[in-house]
Amino acid sequence: MGNEAIARGAIEGGIALASGYPGTPSSEIGNTFARVAKQLGIHFEWSANEKVALEVAFGASMVGQRAICSMKHVGVNVALDILNPITLRGVKGGLVLVSTDDPSQHSSRTEQDNRWLGRHNDVPILEPSSPQEAKDLTKYAIELSEQVKLPVMIRTVTRLSHMRSDVELGEMQRLDRKPVFDWDGFSYRVAGFEKLFRRHRERHGKIDSVQEMFEDSGFNELKLNGGERIGVIGVGFAITYVRDALEYLGVEDRVAWLKLVTTHPMPERLVARLVESVDTVLIAEEVDPFIELHVKALAKDVNPNVKILGRMNGFIPREGELSHEVIDARVAELTGVELAPEARGDLEEAKGDLLFDRMLTMCAGCPHRSSLYALKKAVQAVKGDLMNVVVNGDIGCYGLAHAPPMEFEDTYFCMGASIGVSQGMQRFGVDTIAWIGDGTFFHAGIPALQNAVHNKAPIKVVVADNQAVAMTGFQTNPQLGRTATGDKVEPIMIEDIARASGVKHVEVVDPYDLIAAEEAFKRMLVFDGVALVIARRECAMVAVRNMRPERPPVYIVDQEACVGCKQCLSTYGCPALMWDEDTRKASIDTTLCMGCTSCAQVCPVDAIHRRCDA
Amino acid sequence: MKTFKLVISGVGGQGTLLASRLLAEASIKAGLHVKIGETYGMAQRGGPVMGHIQIGGTAHNPQIRKGEADLLVGFEPAEATRRGVTYLKEGGLALVNTRVTAPVEVISGMVPYPNMGELIGLLGKVTDWLVAFDATSLAEEAGDPIATNVVMLGAITESGQLPFDDETVLSTLRKSLRPQFLELNVRAFDLGRKAYREKAS
Repeated sequence: MGNEAIARGAIEGGIALASGYPGTPSSEIGNTFARVAKQLGIHFEWSANEKVALEVAFGASMVGQRAICSMKHVGVNVALDILNPITLRGVKGGLVLVSTDDPSQHSSRTEQDNRWLGRHNDVPILEPSSPQEAKDLTKYAIELSEQVKLPVMIRTVTRLSHMRSDVELGEMQRLDRKPVFDWDGFSYRVAGFEKLFRRHRERHGKIDSVQEMFEDSGFNELKLNGGERIGVIGVGFAITYVRDALEYLGVEDRVAWLKLVTTHPMPERLVARLVESVDTVLIAEEVDPFIELHVKALAKDVNPNVKILGRMNGFIPREGELSHEVIDARVAELTGVELAPEARGDLEEAKGDLLFDRMLTMCAGCPHRSSLYALKKAVQAVKGDLMNVVVNGDIGCYGLAHAPPMEFEDTYFCMGASIGVSQGMQRFGVDTIAWIGDGTFFHAGIPALQNAVHNKAPIKVVVADNQAVAMTGFQTNPQLGRTATGDKVEPIMIEDIARASGVKHVEVVDPYDLIAAEEAFKRMLVFDGVALVIARRECAMVAVRNMRPERPPVYIVDQEACVGCKQCLSTYGCPALMWDEDTRKASIDTTLCMGCTSCAQVCPVDAIHRRCDA
Repeated sequence: MKTFKLVISGVGGQGTLLASRLLAEASIKAGLHVKIGETYGMAQRGGPVMGHIQIGGTAHNPQIRKGEADLLVGFEPAEATRRGVTYLKEGGLALVNTRVTAPVEVISGMVPYPNMGELIGLLGKVTDWLVAFDATSLAEEAGDPIATNVVMLGAITESGQLPFDDETVLSTLRKSLRPQFLELNVRAFDLGRKAYREKAS
């Protein structure tokens, strides 16, 4: 897997520390370190957030250790504050930042192109085109970083991070360097303030030297015979669509191509060799016209009449990831090859009429569903109408609260924002509920909560605490009492943080007890001041996993007692519930049910029972 | 050799990712290059999942072009039709688990689940080589519905379409699974093989 290859490359590069924050499509990098770190004598941690993760890695670098830090694209927004001083001050031990971008937003709220953030801070950027290259480039990135004393960014896209293929491995390296703080490189006391403070020019010198190295980098590949009129630049993973298209269309001899892996600083002389030689250049890249813009600037000097096509003029769509369809069609158009027409238009249309989309939903037995059910009841009772509050959600599984059948969430933006934006609304008398998960609370919720207390914004906060970072695959957070590598540690409890932050009304409730949860939410809603309820129950997936090899207790719908009112389906809507159109009764799918009992509490005629007592 | 192209489709939580990983490991064991592209997004929460697997060959990108898959493995009937209609080549083999996983739209009463005859009928317009059976009940019979993926893997192996032999798949399975679950999974694998033999004959 691309992500596993990155972790392997880092280990071959002799890292002593890896850190990160989970987020699709980056999580498997850290998951891999979590599995092997102890055995290899590496420190790995899931940090509290991306900024902390990068700071931890930078600290290791300043004492001479090689380190890697991984996160999803939006995570780099959080880490940006420390990335800037790192690039100005430089690094000692090689330091690699992995940014996994998510074109087409498979699992993100934006398809932001992080190469701009690298460039914004003079960070060299490498974009692998295959899992093999992901491994090899990561190792190279560590060495390059240490050599030029800049952090280096490995930038992947979802399709590469999640791609699997056979990879040839190199030797793992363990450096066992003596940890020594680089006093001359980083200490105001020793090196002096002036020497360390103004370094913008020095940073430019470093990035220029990297550009020289990239001119001859063996990771780039130019295929140019000399007679071609058309050239294609495929940046990172995009080159795979380009090369497959050239072969598919049988135009390999007529089209020159450049695989560009060293994206920033762009090796201008190498790119110029292609741009000078052809009449038309097509640029395939994910997702913004980052290289395209630079090629346009370069072409002004080296071949002003060359036609440059790509995302800027919409020749390739300006948004969304690339595909065979997109690149095949563009290359066919440029080369005059006839593409076979879409053969199954009618079938696709019939399929569209027949099939549902399959919307995302919370799992069977998910405690968040129970919390939302109870919360809606409480809001109805206290506020008179569900529309009398704005529900500001947050990032995680519970963010699916907006989806049917719960449909009880109005906004979500970025990690921790629920608590912050609620305060601005509450200030003007608009009632809100901040709906935030346990992991997200630790990531960015705490300063916002303290702000509410300090500035007297009487917000109501529900922490959907499923004791897991479930969305990204069960990584750790500070409340779980264990580290990423399995060490037992003192759990930091959310209720303790809330109380220590001055929240006067704090309750913990089990959402599987729907009545108790509803009552707790009512008390929260009527409290005068900041109030917080922690709805705590282990993630259903973890619960089922922990039962293995046993299966959960079986719950059934008593077919005699069921009156077919569908309340369990329409107001609760657990995926384990089924409806039989013939008998007009509900039933339970025992392969999915995990025995949470919530639907039994929802049923108005007590028709749902555990099998042995039915 | 000619590239063998396989599309696996299903619903989050069905273990499709593990199935494709086992096939990849078996390919490597057989000395073949393999490329897998997976689309799962937030699929853990009930969304659709799809894996494209190319064994052997020289492709750079793992995505299979429309209408070019040699084999479609559908872990759920609607997902089988969703991907089969797009990716399966004419006359290619479609292996389908008939057990329905209803999406939230159906559960909460927004839309009905499509008629099974119409669903399979639509896939039948792409191929008449269709082997369908309830793999989830076989997994339950083996001891845990989670082993549906291994039942399907048994059926894939029995179909004889893979460019390597049965023993390669079996030894990969044995190596990759935790010992306490091995017996259950071998049972599931055998039930999948048997189901294919019975249905295909």
